[in-house]
Amino acid sequence: MTPPSLFLSSRFHKGLRHGSDNLSGQDRYRRMRRWLLAILFLIAMTPVVITAALNYLQYQELLREEAENNARWGMESAKRNLETFLEKLNLSISLIADAYPHRELLVQENIDLAFTRLKRDHKGVVDLSVIGPNGIQKSYAGPFNLLGKDYRESPWYNNTLSRGAYISEAFLGFRNIPHFVVAVSRKMPDGGGNWVLRASVDTETLDKFLASLHSEIVTDVFLVDESGTRQSTANFRKQKRDQIVLPELSLKKGVILTNEFRSEKQVIRTYTPIRDTPWILVQEHVSHQSKNSWIQFRRQTLILLLSCAVLTTALVYWIAGFVTATIRKTEKEREAMLAQAEHTNKLASIGRLAAGVAHEINNPLAIVSAKAQLAIDLLQRSSEFESREKILASLAGLQKAVARSRDITHRLLGFARRMEVKLQPVQVNDVIEEVLSFIGQEASYHHIAIDKELDLDLPSIMSDQGQLQQILLNIINNAIDAAGKGGKVWIATAMIQPKTVRIEITDNGPGMTAEVQKKIFEPFFTTKTGKDKQGTGLGLAISYGLVKKLGGEIEVHSEVATGTTFALSFPV
Amino acid sequence: MKGQKILIVDDETEFAETCAECLAFRGFDARWTGDARSAMEVINSGWHPAVVLLDLQMPEMNGLETLSLIKQFDQDIEVIIVTARGSTEDGIEGMQRGLFDYFMKPVEIEELVEKIHQALDKNKYPSPD
Repeated sequence: MTPPSLFLSSRFHKGLRHGSDNLSGQDRYRRMRRWLLAILFLIAMTPVVITAALNYLQYQELLREEAENNARWGMESAKRNLETFLEKLNLSISLIADAYPHRELLVQENIDLAFTRLKRDHKGVVDLSVIGPNGIQKSYAGPFNLLGKDYRESPWYNNTLSRGAYISEAFLGFRNIPHFVVAVSRKMPDGGGNWVLRASVDTETLDKFLASLHSEIVTDVFLVDESGTRQSTANFRKQKRDQIVLPELSLKKGVILTNEFRSEKQVIRTYTPIRDTPWILVQEHVSHQSKNSWIQFRRQTLILLLSCAVLTTALVYWIAGFVTATIRKTEKEREAMLAQAEHTNKLASIGRLAAGVAHEINNPLAIVSAKAQLAIDLLQRSSEFESREKILASLAGLQKAVARSRDITHRLLGFARRMEVKLQPVQVNDVIEEVLSFIGQEASYHHIAIDKELDLDLPSIMSDQGQLQQILLNIINNAIDAAGKGGKVWIATAMIQPKTVRIEITDNGPGMTAEVQKKIFEPFFTTKTGKDKQGTGLGLAISYGLVKKLGGEIEVHSEVATGTTFALSFPV
Repeated sequence: MKGQKILIVDDETEFAETCAECLAFRGFDARWTGDARSAMEVINSGWHPAVVLLDLQMPEMNGLETLSLIKQFDQDIEVIIVTARGSTEDGIEGMQRGLFDYFMKPVEIEELVEKIHQALDKNKYPSPD
């Protein structure tokens, strides 16, 4: 009994073998082609993709840097403009505070005049007022009645007192209208505390100023206070105040830049504090990813990549097909050569065997022949007796049988014989005529027509006349046999290539099946099995061997019920 | 030509003997031996053949070597090789050593006799008669 492990192992190997047997040649080439396609495609596309990716990243980085720099510069310029606007306002108010003594500003006419001048230079200034050291509004020029209002609790008032000058965040105040305050404080001439000169500016002026900063790349500009609340008029009209989250960065100096994703778009936001105010200016810029140049670059890169892929696929498809076909052809040729070598080898070994057998048989045949001859000699000298003639006839039959056997063994030896090839210029047409002179009579006896179409300009070939004769004799004889009574045989010669002569022998006999055609050149294969048609099955095998020895080729083309053509080609 | 001495040398003794008898029937003085050594002994003993029918494959000494010995002994003795195992090369080699002709077995006696006559005609050996 087989041990289980051995049993399993043998099953496994059987399975493997079975698997590989199933992989037909066609599948193998298909698989090879697929592999080639994949590998070649990878080899061709990898550098393209890497280059495209590097380009993509570099260009992206370049555009990002450019966009960020632009955002920074834009922001710095906006900050400068806003600071200049506020500084001028601040300066004007300081000038008024310095130019007019405190008590003069308490005179309505004076404050009205100062307000008119201020308003002329600074649009958006809503009113101008003086707040005494006690925090009570002392004089006022403007549309609202705010005289006597107490600002002691107002953050802006306290900030102004403590800092000397102050710009407030936007707020509603007593008037209930969004505005901000620019205020300066000055010491009372008598030294009793500080008075404050205040100008209110409506936030719409700020809104307009900010709106003027909008451009193709600046999509949003707004001010927020330190808590992140928007400083716009609209914001105060809403129930809910618009608030943004400020980046956790030091806002005391410079421009802070963040890349953010807002309403399905990548944007760059810049934040910067406005000097001497509680404000932070926020600008939103178009990110490089929304820029036309970037979109176009991406599209071009994609088109380039796709074109490359299509072109590469086509090229690789062609190369893979070509390489596979070439390998396939080479393998086929190799297989054909191997088959050829095998056939030649088979012929050689059969030849050796045949020669051995023929030699061994020749000796006993010689004895039989000699003994029969001796018996005939003896009988011819003896006197008449009963059955003498019969015995003589039997002995003659015996001699005939020996002669037949001899024919066979000699042909076998002829098949195996290694004759030296004697090369000389041979005119193929002449050899055909010689052969026909041997067998033409037999053909006409059987009413077989032989048509010749010989190329009269045929050059001589280097060959062995005797062997060529033997080959042609054999094949033409076969054609005559195949054509049969009343049949027809065509013999044609022609130059088919610059250095090849072709001879075609065609009959209109019964033809051969593909199976028979395959075996036709094998020794001992014969189709002549009829009563009066006996073949040794060596004729074509010998012809095949001789043609090969002379450096030629022999092919057979046949169709059942149509006929057969043997085509010989020889180099010139 | 009757009575000409013909020596048959063949290790197939049955063939050699029968052949000799057939030739004797046709008036030749035919003898046979089964190997080359005996053949040379016969020739050296003074029985001088006009024609030798020689096999190629024989034990001890082959036909071609024997042919050379015979030709050394007497250039005029004609040798015809009758062999079951011949080749063109052997034939050519034999011709170079002075062989008259070459036969592949089986051979008809009449063919042999004709060839012997041709060989005898060549040297025109005088008949002992």
